[in-house]
Amino acid sequence: MEAFLAGMATLTDPLILGMILAGTVLGIVVGALPGISGSTTIALLLPLTIGVSPIAALAFMGSIYCAANFGGSITAILVNAPGDPSASATAIEGYRLAERGQAGLALGMAAVASAIGGIFSVVMLIFAAPLLARAAYSFGPPEYFALAVFGLSMCAAIGGDGRVKNLMTAALGVLLATVGIDLTSGVERYSFGIMELSDGINFVPVLIGLFAVSEMLDQSTRRAEEPKLITMDAAKLPTLADFRKCARAIGLGSVIGAFIGALPALGATTAALVGYNETQRWSKHKHEFGHGALEGVAGPESANNAAVGGSMVPTLALGIPGSATTAIILAGLIVQGVRPGPHLFNEQPVLLYAVFASMLAANLLYLVLGLGMAKLFARISLIPPTILWPAVFVLSIIGAYGPNQSMGDVVIMLVAGGVGFLFRRHGFSPAPLIMGLVLGGMLEEALKQSMIIFDQNPLGFAQRPIALLLLAVTLAGLLGPMLLRMLRMMRPQKEAV
Amino acid sequence: MRMLPDRACAAAMAAVAVLAFAATYGFDEVPPGLAQGLGAAEFPRLVCLVLLGLAALLFLGAAPRNPPPRVPATGWATMALAVGFLPLMMVVGMLPAMLVFLVAMGWLWGERRWGVLLGSAIGLVAGIWIVFVRLFALSLPGGWLGERLFS
Repeated sequence: MEAFLAGMATLTDPLILGMILAGTVLGIVVGALPGISGSTTIALLLPLTIGVSPIAALAFMGSIYCAANFGGSITAILVNAPGDPSASATAIEGYRLAERGQAGLALGMAAVASAIGGIFSVVMLIFAAPLLARAAYSFGPPEYFALAVFGLSMCAAIGGDGRVKNLMTAALGVLLATVGIDLTSGVERYSFGIMELSDGINFVPVLIGLFAVSEMLDQSTRRAEEPKLITMDAAKLPTLADFRKCARAIGLGSVIGAFIGALPALGATTAALVGYNETQRWSKHKHEFGHGALEGVAGPESANNAAVGGSMVPTLALGIPGSATTAIILAGLIVQGVRPGPHLFNEQPVLLYAVFASMLAANLLYLVLGLGMAKLFARISLIPPTILWPAVFVLSIIGAYGPNQSMGDVVIMLVAGGVGFLFRRHGFSPAPLIMGLVLGGMLEEALKQSMIIFDQNPLGFAQRPIALLLLAVTLAGLLGPMLLRMLRMMRPQKEAV
Repeated sequence: MRMLPDRACAAAMAAVAVLAFAATYGFDEVPPGLAQGLGAAEFPRLVCLVLLGLAALLFLGAAPRNPPPRVPATGWATMALAVGFLPLMMVVGMLPAMLVFLVAMGWLWGERRWGVLLGSAIGLVAGIWIVFVRLFALSLPGGWLGERLFS
């Protein structure tokens, strides 16, 4: 308790508060810029943290990490270009709301859901870190494989015209994830002698192409239509009734995000996509999904921010990063002379609680900043399309080029834009492709490792209860609706007889 | 008789799956010492088979629906501008190509106020230069012309 209070007391230090404020503002800005993610910013600014105390350095990095996830939702909602990959699920419904002139509603909900998800995960981190870490690490390759299959099966419910189309797009994403050098054998796959493809397909340019560029191309085909007049209603914020409607989505997203974040390698992007799926599955307003469902913003936003706290669990408790950003934070900790691991909870509890306190403060701060600036951000949707969409394309180019400074990524983004445009015209949702691309690598690796563990006998999965349960739920989820439909079709026939 | 749109999509996806499956036979051979369990080709083949199965399901379950509307001239011109951005960038560099693109696409989409077009384009390119080049030290391609002028 003493350590907890001492950690919280660090928030009274003006330097720490200043670092949190700077980190939060910077996080929102870089999160909103496509191509500059929170991890890139922390990596770029890591040398600046060497001169300050470990607590101040961690407060700064933690604040950027927390706020960048929220920042990513701003451009996702306004122009369908997720500033951060974790905001891709937010774009599905958020952009539809902005199109209807309700950008303020979506932005306000994103700010509140993000803050609640973030605060929930930090509270979980404080009270349940050792427990969560133990649960996460009872997962071996078979469980990861089953979890990835389960995640992909949930794509069936994401937008688009049908379950088969969604699963097909997800499978295409998994196939794309196999492009490049196979890490176990060193064999090049589908690179066709193109050097840029040897390292595999980076999902950032694919994401930008599928969402932002395809949207621009789609807009270009509708130039002859009467332009939709977006009124200043765009700047209206959500009401108490809206929050009440989304309470279940926020709760569900927070729990899912905190758990998925705690699993190594599954970060905020996966948490947001699973959060979106589950929100839709448990929603009482399923018909709104795909047309601008506010719950579809609340669910993934609370999930991706809850994953931030969750991913700090393995980073701090075991010294194993839960995501790319926490890997950089881990490096920052080591630079500061702090060695994360189970002993950290005994040796430096004040430092740990100071980190938790600064993350709590960052979440509260971006709630205030996000709500305060939502009206201002929402006005972006009032910019004429003749100026807005060319600007989105130019920012997409920078977003695709930025992370690896590769022209190959720009080409991939343009191709993905063309594919995304075709998808839209034929009722395919782009989100399952992203999920397949994100989970594909883990799926293959986990399957290969599992088969080695089971001595190449696939029945070995039957000996792992968690994996078996996940696979059974997946099968039930995929075949259940089909069986129900068949039963419904048989019933009238029986009545007729 | 025209094929149902969903059947055409299913056929296209099946073609992708078949081509990707066939391409796995072009992968390099793994030395026998490393060839344990699932190799480099098995997983992609498995995914191709799943994709093929789903394409068959879509083909069989395809219901009649309206084909997507024709792409108007502005749509084709926008695509041409987007694709043309790359060769233009290789010649004049990324920032000047962005400036040209912003003005050209704004004009194509119906903006006729040159002050607004030029002002917004110059403002955005300047903003990109400040944030990405000056602040984040991103080195943007200078293009053939940029290399001639500044190297």
